Order: sequence, then structure tokens, then C-alpha cells
Amino acid sequence: MENAIIIRYCEIHLKGKNRGYFEKMLKENIKRSLKGINFTFTTMHSRYLIENFDENDYDLITNKLQKIAGIHTYSRALVVDSNLDDIFEAAKLLCEDKEGTFKVATNRADKTFTPSSMETSMILGGKLLDVYGGKIKVQVKNPDFTVNVDIREDGKTFVYTDVVHCLSGMPVGSAGKGLLLISGGIDSPVAGYMTCKRGMKLDCIHFHSFPYTGEAAKEKVIELTKKVGEYNGGINLFVVSFTHIQEAIHKHCPEEFMITIMRRFMMRIAERLAKQQGDQAIITGESLGQVASQTIESITSSNSVVTMPVLRPLIAFDKLDIIEISRKIDTYETSILPYEDCCTVFLPKFPAIKPNLERVIRAESKLDIEGLIDEAFKKVEKYVF
Amino acid sequence: MMYFDNAATTCPSRSALDKAQQFNNEKFFNPSTLYSGGLNCAREIKSAKETILKCLGTSNHEVIFTSCGSESDNMAIFCARQRGVFVTDKGEHSAVYQSFLELKNRGLQIEFIDLNPDGTVDEEKLYNYVKNSRVDFVSIAHVGNETGAINDINKIAKKIKSINKDIIFHSDGVQAFGKIPYRLSQDIDLYSISAHKINALKGVGALIKRKNLSIKPLIFGGGQENGLRSGTENVFGIKVFEFAAIEKYDNLQNNYEYVKSIKAYFEENLDRALFKIISAPNSSPYILTISAVGLRGEVVMHSMEEFGLIVGNGSACSSKNRFSRVIEACGYKNDVLDGVIRISFSTFNSINEAKNAVEILNNTVKKLKGILG
Repeated sequence: MENAIIIRYCEIHLKGKNRGYFEKMLKENIKRSLKGINFTFTTMHSRYLIENFDENDYDLITNKLQKIAGIHTYSRALVVDSNLDDIFEAAKLLCEDKEGTFKVATNRADKTFTPSSMETSMILGGKLLDVYGGKIKVQVKNPDFTVNVDIREDGKTFVYTDVVHCLSGMPVGSAGKGLLLISGGIDSPVAGYMTCKRGMKLDCIHFHSFPYTGEAAKEKVIELTKKVGEYNGGINLFVVSFTHIQEAIHKHCPEEFMITIMRRFMMRIAERLAKQQGDQAIITGESLGQVASQTIESITSSNSVVTMPVLRPLIAFDKLDIIEISRKIDTYETSILPYEDCCTVFLPKFPAIKPNLERVIRAESKLDIEGLIDEAFKKVEKYVF
Repeated sequence: MMYFDNAATTCPSRSALDKAQQFNNEKFFNPSTLYSGGLNCAREIKSAKETILKCLGTSNHEVIFTSCGSESDNMAIFCARQRGVFVTDKGEHSAVYQSFLELKNRGLQIEFIDLNPDGTVDEEKLYNYVKNSRVDFVSIAHVGNETGAINDINKIAKKIKSINKDIIFHSDGVQAFGKIPYRLSQDIDLYSISAHKINALKGVGALIKRKNLSIKPLIFGGGQENGLRSGTENVFGIKVFEFAAIEKYDNLQNNYEYVKSIKAYFEENLDRALFKIISAPNSSPYILTISAVGLRGEVVMHSMEEFGLIVGNGSACSSKNRFSRVIEACGYKNDVLDGVIRISFSTFNSINEAKNAVEILNNTVKKLKGILG
């Protein structure tokens, strides 16, 4: 009796002629993620199979599978020769810890196998009741658990009970590349996670303004980027020094536009970096109306300085929903660490909630925009995780 | 590097480390074992305890080694009395403050007594409270870690005992031991100290307990430290603590005067248009708390780092609850609270360093105020 992990995908099924492209990409992402672990990998009619792995590596493998976009579910299966006795032994083992209602569902790819699917289910169900009759009971509609028997054409049968749901989505890399603005808050890592779940490979950009933000704030962003990177198959982080820009805005522009103009600079820098890195979109964690810089007027203002598409996966999310996802992807505890965020030091008492674009442009015209951006690009640190 | 954050931790003394090194090498034995190597280690721990009691000038107390000052505070607060009314003040270190909040969670009655503007406890309010309530436990820090305010704990303990002799009196002496000339009176039941604040190592602290006072352990196990603190003793760390304490107490008064002169240099030369001095004139010479009013302490701290000058900010800076509760309890408002910086000294600091540091502080804060003002 061997162990195997059956991996299933979901949305890729909907693809037509280019389905092979997505399948291949998912396969490569899985293999890359499991690099360093011994196993064999086979493709099997819209499913993947991981076999011949060390039992001690099971948790490690499944933890990694749960972070690969494109995988819908996986099951741990026992692989036996296709005969009723061996299949029953496997089913018996799987039901050892089970209680409640169940059914057996048999699927015969090998039509030469006898008895029929229905009969196989009945025979196995009967035998299981003989052994565990006190604690399990048959119920065909909505059972507590299902014993799945998958009789393959190659003389092998998979028996499994549990189906674990994973990320779903599309394989990372299948939807191009994008640049995520990551701040150290709760929202941006979630926005990154959601975008790479839809198949976009991410780079990250962070604006650091020493001494107004410290080393600890940068460490926090690095931690968050690494966590997003786990879903992205590795990640690049670009840290841009924002100090002089913030100081210049503070000195020359009206206080109420501080954040608005800062956001415009961030977008300009992000677009320039994105083009350099071959990224096709900018991703932000903005959520409509959450703070002054996220009103539609503020978003219009920051959006108007770039031509590249800006993706805002959280735009219609409530804060509590965002927090829930951040807990799920384990970024919440890091995000709420109390280090000075780049926005807070220069935070005006009364920021413009609905900045007038013409007034913003006029206020900004006092600055040497290109010069400041050029200077910022001289001090870009790159981290590869 | 100019290191002026000695209230956070100090650089370990090379000579104390060298002397103790044998306990990392050939004398590595477990002090609980019965062969001669082990017994010898147990004797060494005993001698360290005697040294510490001698430093404190007491024969009425005994030493329980712990892992840190916080553990000592926790042990004092949770293990001496299991019920009753617990009183402390608003200037305590988090190890005491948070432990009191935990007592409250567990359903006990607690009280935080107000501070005077100089950071010392308002003694009248304390005595009145003790008189009017059936208090069981009082904890008042010897030296406040954020303000450097010195409480006259011998006097306070005596007064409290005269009101009710059954009250247990604890004091957090982490910022006082090895720094402030002082004899531990027998009115003090429990006194917490820490090794790494006096040029020894992190990972060792002690709770000084009045003899005959019965307390329960916080950590159970093999019964070390007379059953009061189980866990194999950190012999090396304890010996470094002992040797560092000897170095401190051999020159206690001289060190005190020396550090006082460094603090005075700061007080006299920091630009008063830029800084407000928060520490009171009679506070510990080892701690000077100031505020770069209108700036954020953390920003000043980071700016200093660029020049190799390390200062402390009163507490970790966050956008929420970013103000120090202790400085706030001294009666300061937001603009002062925002800019709090703690400069803390050791005998390793030189007057030249002080001159450089003051110049950097004055220039940089002036520049920052220009940018942010």
C-alpha cells in the first residue's frame, strides 16, 4: 500500500485550446515549489499525482501545495492493486478514525474491472459496516464523509476520503507581471496575494524615508514581502528612498495636499520601475473611502499621472474582510507591528479628502518632479527572496 | 559608535567575562550534581549570592537567581500574595505595569497611584490609599526606567509598614542596582535586579527576598534556588553578574559622580530652545529624559543613528498609543510626549563623547525642526 497525493485544478478546465499552456505552467510551479524534496510527479487526466515521497515530508509538501495558485484541491490517497481485497484494506484503514454517516463512491476508468462501480461500492460499504458498524452509518445523500475508490486503467486503485481545498485561482505567471506597492500596512500584502492568486507574477516596491521611518519599518516590509512571495514563487522587492521627495513636498506644497502629492510621486516612480522590470500593471491595496487618500477624487488624482493599468483588488472590500484574508495568509500579525509608517510622520492634520486636480497640479508645479524622481532612482535597493 | 542607551542594556565588561570564562569551559558542570565539579559550581553560585547581598548592604535578605528583571518582577507580584488588594504607581516598567493588569484580569483589585511631575510617586496619595483600603501588596520602583526618578523606597516602605506591617513591599531596582548608592532596608520584602544593566549579560536577573518571607515559585521543576526557581542555573551568567557587580560597587560613588558630570554636560549644553528636559534635577544621574518638542522621538533617534549616536526613545513608537504612559502620567501634553528621547549613561561614556553627542543632537534637531516645522 503506497501513499500518494492527488492534486486537482479547477478553472483551468474552462480553458479551451490553450489549456495545455496553463497546465504546463501549474505543473512547473508545483515542481519549483517542491524543489529539494524527493518525490515523483505524474500527470493523470487533468490531475497531478505526487508519489514516492518520504512520509515525514507529507506536511511540508501539503503546506506548500496550499500556497500554489491554480490548485483547487488535493487528497491524500492510498494506492493499491486493483482487487477488492486490497481496496477494502485501504478503505478500512482510512475509516479507522472516522465517525458518522458515509458512502462509497466508485469510479472505474478501467471498465474491465468487475464487479461494476455500483456493486463495488455496495460490497465495500457492506464490509466497512461489518467492521465499524457501531460508529458509521450509510447515508447516500450528504454523508459526513465519502470513501472514494478510483480504479485506474493501469491496474492501480486510489482510495481516499478527505478533499482539502486550496487557493484555486490561476497559475502564477499565466497572467503577466505586475508591480505591487507594499506599505507595511494590512491591505497591500492582501492585494498582492489576491493578484498573484489570479496568476499575475509580482514584483514589489516600497517607499522608505529614513530617518522618518526606521530600520524596523523596513524589516517589517521585508517580512511581509516574503510572505507574499510564498504565493508568488519567490519575489523581488525594490526599496526606494522617499525622504527628499517628502521633504520637498512638505516644504513647497500646501499641507492639505501632502498625501495627495506623495501618492502621485509614488505612482510615477512605480510606473517607471514597472517599465524597467517588464511589469504590465501597478497593484495597490486601495479600498474605496478607507482613508483620505482613497476617496474617488484622491484616486483620480494619483491615477492621472500614469498610463499603465492600476489594479486595485480590494477596492470594494470592507476592512474586516481584508483583515480576515490577512489572517488567513499570516500577514496580519506582522502588519500591525507598531513601526512608523512612511505616511504618518508627514500626515497633515486636515488632509484634502476631495483634492481638486487642477489645484493639486498647480501646487505640484513648484517642484522639480523629474529631478526628484531621478534622484530617488539613484538610491534603489533590490532584495530577492 | 557613541552609545547612550545604557538604560536599555549595557556593553558587557570584558574583565568580568574573562574571569567567568572558566565556567563556560572546564567548570561547565550542573550545580545540582553531587560530584565535586557540580558541588564547586553550587559553591560559586552561593558566593555570587553573598556578593550581591554585600553590594546591597544587607544580611536580612536572600537571593533567588532568575532569567531577567521581568521574571523577578513577575515572581514578586504573582508569588508573594495570591489574593487581596495590590497597589503600584503609574511610573512602573511594563514588567510591573502589565503584571498588575493581569492581576486585574484575574479578578484582583489593583490601584495605580499618581505620579508627581518629576516622575516620583505621589507619596501622600499612596499613604492615604494604604490607610483607607485593606492593601496587601505594594510595588514602587526604586528608579523609574523612563524618567530616572528616584523614589526613596526605604522611607516609603517604612511608612507603609507602619500603617500595616503585613503589607508586602516590592521594589523594581533594575535601574538602581550597581548605580545608586543605597542599602536595602529590611522593610523591603522583595527587590528585583538585572545583570545586563550593569555591564553583565542578558539572561540573568535576581529577586532579593527578605528571609523568612514565604513565597511560591513561578517556575516548578528540579527544585533549584531552594525550590523557588527551578531550572538549571546559568552559572556563567551568574558569575559574570557577580564580577560585574564587584566592579560596580568597588567604585560606586566615583562612578556616580562621574556619570553625574556627563549628565550635567548634557543638561547644560543641550539647546533649551529645542529640547525640554523632563528628568528632574534630583533624578538618577544615569538617565536623562528630554523631549524634542514637536518632533517624533523615533525620527530623532533614527537621525542620530546616521552619525553613529545611539540614543533611546522612551518607548516603541507606533501610530496608536505612541505616547509613553509614564511621561504622560507626569502631566505632559502631546507635543512633548511625541518627542521623548531617553539618553542614558554608563561609566564607559567619555566627556568627549558627550560633547559630540550634544553637538549632533543640537544640530540635527534644529535641522529637522527646519524641515518639519
